[in-house]
Amino acid sequence: MDDEESLAVALSAAGYFADGGLLTAVHLALRLGRPLLLEGEPGVGKTELAAVLSRVLDRELIRLQCFEGLDSGQALYEWDYPKQLLRVRTAEARGEAIGDLYAEEFLLQRPLLRAVRSERGAVLLIDEIDRADNEFEAFLLEFLSDFQITVPELATLRARRTPVVVLTSNRTRELHDALRRRCLYHWIAFPDAQRERAILHAHVPGLAEEAAAELVRAVAEIRALPLLKRPGVAESIDWARGAAALVDGGSAWPTALRRALGLLIKDEEDTRLLDERAKEIFHHS
Amino acid sequence: MPGAPAKQADFFRAIAGAVPHDVARLYWYARVTLLGDVADLAAFDRVFEQWFGRGLGAALVVPPPVRDSEVRSPRDGAGRELPASDARPGSGIAASALATAGRRGFGRTDPRQRDLMRLLRDAWPANLPTLPSRRRRPSRSGRELDMRRTWQRARRNDGEIAELRWTTRPRRTRRLLLLVDVSGSLRQHTPELLRLAHAALRGVPERTEVFTFGTRLTRVTGALSGARVDRALHAVSGAVHDADGGTAIGAAMRRFLDNPRYLALARGALVVVISDGLERGDCTAMIRSTERLSRLAYRLIWWSPLACSPTYRPVTRGMAGVLRHLDHLGGVRDLASGLAEVGRIPSVAAGPRRSAHLRRE
Repeated sequence: MDDEESLAVALSAAGYFADGGLLTAVHLALRLGRPLLLEGEPGVGKTELAAVLSRVLDRELIRLQCFEGLDSGQALYEWDYPKQLLRVRTAEARGEAIGDLYAEEFLLQRPLLRAVRSERGAVLLIDEIDRADNEFEAFLLEFLSDFQITVPELATLRARRTPVVVLTSNRTRELHDALRRRCLYHWIAFPDAQRERAILHAHVPGLAEEAAAELVRAVAEIRALPLLKRPGVAESIDWARGAAALVDGGSAWPTALRRALGLLIKDEEDTRLLDERAKEIFHHS
Repeated sequence: MPGAPAKQADFFRAIAGAVPHDVARLYWYARVTLLGDVADLAAFDRVFEQWFGRGLGAALVVPPPVRDSEVRSPRDGAGRELPASDARPGSGIAASALATAGRRGFGRTDPRQRDLMRLLRDAWPANLPTLPSRRRRPSRSGRELDMRRTWQRARRNDGEIAELRWTTRPRRTRRLLLLVDVSGSLRQHTPELLRLAHAALRGVPERTEVFTFGTRLTRVTGALSGARVDRALHAVSGAVHDADGGTAIGAAMRRFLDNPRYLALARGALVVVISDGLERGDCTAMIRSTERLSRLAYRLIWWSPLACSPTYRPVTRGMAGVLRHLDHLGGVRDLASGLAEVGRIPSVAAGPRRSAHLRRE
């Protein structure tokens, strides 16, 4: 993956259509070995990018889902106490020496440690970092700058191959500057019409050309409305799939689109707003 | 624009490794390495434009969904700003839609106020609702076995488990979100209400957020969180530009709800709106926003100076509509009445939801 063009080809072969900015961001993250912080509206493909990267780079995908109260025992490693205890008991029963209780076999590896220890390199996805507490961010700093983890009883473990780290955030709270400084940053915007059509084609096989165009136009108009939750790409794929299923069942395209609207809009208030505007949005149909 | 040395080094390494062929590529190199937050994007684009392009930035800029802390002045149906003739600051009965008043001082804190604020500083944390923390802590009365500590003890006894250790989930204070109306109709109460908010920030730092609204919405948590109250209020008067102006409660609340970052502050929090609810013009927006806020919040409490009067009935169209979404409607006009209402929070939290109208009719 030496330049952005070959990266673009590889990504789109895997069904991910990135724009120029995102390609540059991924390219630089790989070349400089820096973590990549992705922000954007929900459903624009932040998490998906990590999954696709792992396939394209042929690396293991390791995911750390963040939540409030996440601590080092869940993110880094933990000693397997029951196993240590059993070892002591069996050694006792057999009258053997106990041996080293802080060896690797007693180490439970959590996502960050697994990323460091991975043989063929890993794509580490730290998902929704904004859901974790502030303290957890501070704790990530050592890992993100040196890709190493210190286990006091064992050693300092360095990554064999620098992992590709993707962090995502939905901006529900401000991330600390120290974290931002260590990362490359990219804001993923909603895709333009052409790119969204390409995405739909890749994910919804058998979608007719006019139907795709109509769908993309409608989605763009709906995103321009003052909605509580603007539909992301994931939703428009769902919508297209739902409508395609209805068409297979014998519906006409325009009616199918309207009937499958529940896959695109998932809030009662938004549905009401859309009902008022339905005429304008679907006037072509 | 902050450009930390580490980020600059990244940028230089990026262009040293592969020289960008065109300005568009250079733009993305610079943006990915130097930018840290989409909120700075506009400033970044301006700087880039100045250095590298004439009329080029316009083609490159992807418009970010900037949802700033500040709210535009309200518009009419066609998107025009409302005429300035509507601006009549001061009178709450005909609150205007445009803020005209500017910076305002909030006076010095006298000894009586200091005493009340000291009481409030203890009252706030004592009365806020709590929830069990996700993070387990060692505790004697816990219910779940603490394997790590039990094992640590056992090792000292040659692997013999002599005593068990337990963990529990300690209770944690829920977030407190204060939305303080600073429009002209509350002019005489604003200084004390802001002191009430300051006491909350001092009593429950980390878990409290304060916003003011009149015709705009301003996040004042940062400005108000200093230890010295008069200095903090001075900072607030510099940050809030719509004090003593008109009211657009619905628009300000809507603006709050439209910003996902703010929205997250209301989720599961105790939300307290301090306002007289005298909305200018159409109050549909205010009612709908309150409904939404009520769904997001753990409890939604409304404090109105008007409700201090025993004869007050929430019969204005706005308040009557809002009432059925509230968990409690209380009367607060100064620090003393605020202290009394803070003491009522536990009973509100214990009662059924959206029951304000049962108690107030």
